[in-house]
Amino acid sequence: MALARTRNLTFTYPEAEAPALRDVSLELEAGEVVGVFGVSGSGKSTLLRAFAGLVPHFHGGRFEGSVEVAGRDTRTTRPAELAGTVATVFQDPEEQVVLTHVAREVAFGLENLGTPPRQILPRAYEALGAVGAAHLAERSAVELSSGELQRVCLASALALRPSLLLLDEPTSQLDPAGAAEFLELVAGLGVAALIVEQRPARVLRHADRIVHLDAGRLFDGEPEWPELAEQDRSVPGDVVCSLQDVHFAYPRRRPVLTGFDLALRRGEIVTLAGLNGTGKTTVAKLAAGLLKPDSGSVVRTGRAAMLLQDPGRYAVRERAEEEVALGVCGDRARARRALAVVGLAGHERRHPRDLSSGERERLALASVLVTEPDLLVVDEPTRGVDPARKAQLAELLRSEAGRRATLVVTHDEEFAAAVGDRSVVLGREAVRV
Amino acid sequence: MRPASAIALLAALATVALITAHVVVAGAITCLLLGVCLRAPRSRARLYIAGTLLSALAVFVLTPFIETIGSHPLLTGPIVPVLGQIDITSEELWSAGLNALRLAAVGLAFAAYALLVDHDRLLQSVRFARPAALATRLLPTLERDAAGFVESLRARGVEVTGVRGRAELLSPLLASSLERGLNLAEAMEARGYGRPGRSGLPAPPWRARDVAAVALAVAVVAAGALWL
Repeated sequence: MALARTRNLTFTYPEAEAPALRDVSLELEAGEVVGVFGVSGSGKSTLLRAFAGLVPHFHGGRFEGSVEVAGRDTRTTRPAELAGTVATVFQDPEEQVVLTHVAREVAFGLENLGTPPRQILPRAYEALGAVGAAHLAERSAVELSSGELQRVCLASALALRPSLLLLDEPTSQLDPAGAAEFLELVAGLGVAALIVEQRPARVLRHADRIVHLDAGRLFDGEPEWPELAEQDRSVPGDVVCSLQDVHFAYPRRRPVLTGFDLALRRGEIVTLAGLNGTGKTTVAKLAAGLLKPDSGSVVRTGRAAMLLQDPGRYAVRERAEEEVALGVCGDRARARRALAVVGLAGHERRHPRDLSSGERERLALASVLVTEPDLLVVDEPTRGVDPARKAQLAELLRSEAGRRATLVVTHDEEFAAAVGDRSVVLGREAVRV
Repeated sequence: MRPASAIALLAALATVALITAHVVVAGAITCLLLGVCLRAPRSRARLYIAGTLLSALAVFVLTPFIETIGSHPLLTGPIVPVLGQIDITSEELWSAGLNALRLAAVGLAFAAYALLVDHDRLLQSVRFARPAALATRLLPTLERDAAGFVESLRARGVEVTGVRGRAELLSPLLASSLERGLNLAEAMEARGYGRPGRSGLPAPPWRARDVAAVALAVAVVAAGALWL
């Protein structure tokens, strides 16, 4: 008997014009690992929410068909009652952390399930250890990098020892080694897992089966993705930004960078990779002028702009075109051109918060590109971006590379290889260029 | 110190500041709480302290124009329609000072709670405290969100300056906090929050200083009610 199944599930969010899921029937056997692919907005996250019971209980909307998990109908079982049998890791680690102390955060779900008090902390520490985050147990979640936070969220789910794991882009913030280890761990747990991923190669080797969604409809197998083509390389020109012997530490924490050097030249794209928590975002912010070094020098010529990790920060104005125009003194004509470049023509008057997550990413990119900077810094631009959009982004960055120096912080090796002229890898002890 | 003990002490100090009729007592409590708040990282404490002290200053400035008490005028001003004659008496100034210090003490007690108390442990304590603990965690989150918006604007060369510039961030801050609240609520429900039979981490034993803090809080309130 299947552990979980949907039967002819059609679901429409309140006030949505079209269903997010259409007539979806899917069965998951105990211990089966299923990869779910599809473009942004195809219904992948909604499918996970349906298995967790959050659709329809939390979101409302029109629900037809049925979903059963461990013999329980989700229409009559609340998500909190399914917790423990099901554990969910959502897309955005920053928006699912309840407590600030890491070990207590992992313990939170165990407490809710009524786990005997003496077992709570040992299970929390065990789960943290399993995802390579034991060293974070006593840290504050506020201090963690996105990748470290994602490990904490994964530990919170594993600590519940569920029968069904629902993982929405669980490795989007992890370094390649960490991602491979985590997926190997999930595959070895012997529990059923539904894994949504935008980097198919990561999941393919661990999945028993692949399905894909297209406009809410479910199909077996993998969709056809465009290849990330090697782009033409340009000749590096003058140095636009130079970091020399840079030392940096956040207040009351150990140093992040000691004696760091980097030169960014016009015409080249440098990719920056490394383990979680090694200071990639710190380097990016130093280069863009958002942070000042404790010692050493950062010299820039011309204008710098940075695309931060969280696209939700690019929602200050009421309309997309106004948001983009912010960086160019309200010049809406330029803003509209920038929106068109990232494929958001026709969305000018929409509220940034009404856009889908993929569209928000592109709005944020337009908000930065419109300033035509001499130095462009982008931090994890492929987070939550489907392969088709990723290929477009690589092409866009390459086509504009000659006009500026570009620093791309990314864990996505395939993307880095496609866009980068040169890569810098930050390690815990050394910097490799 | 346990969160409950710390909250008891802070609440006791705020209570005494509210019930006392002595400016010196309210002033001493305000200074004490200011010292406590300054133990938090300056970058975070600055917002709370500045907000509280500016509010207190506003109360001090406005009270003499609103109250009409006392018979020892220090300043006799013009007659203003509706308000009548504007004059300031020494009693009004005294009252304004007391009210301002009361507000400052209560504000700083809350600031100390927001800045220094371990909200995680409060959230994990008795059920009725959880919604309150979650609600007060909103302030640090708003601080981070505001910093994030300012950073995203700086990242495209836009500097946020002045009161107007900061005021323009209020609307996106509200929207982002609502969105975050919904996402967090969804994540909490998915993790079994609200399900009956909740357990908890073993509570650390009450130590001597926790008991002493609660006893001191009771004594402070009693002394305030009886003699201050």
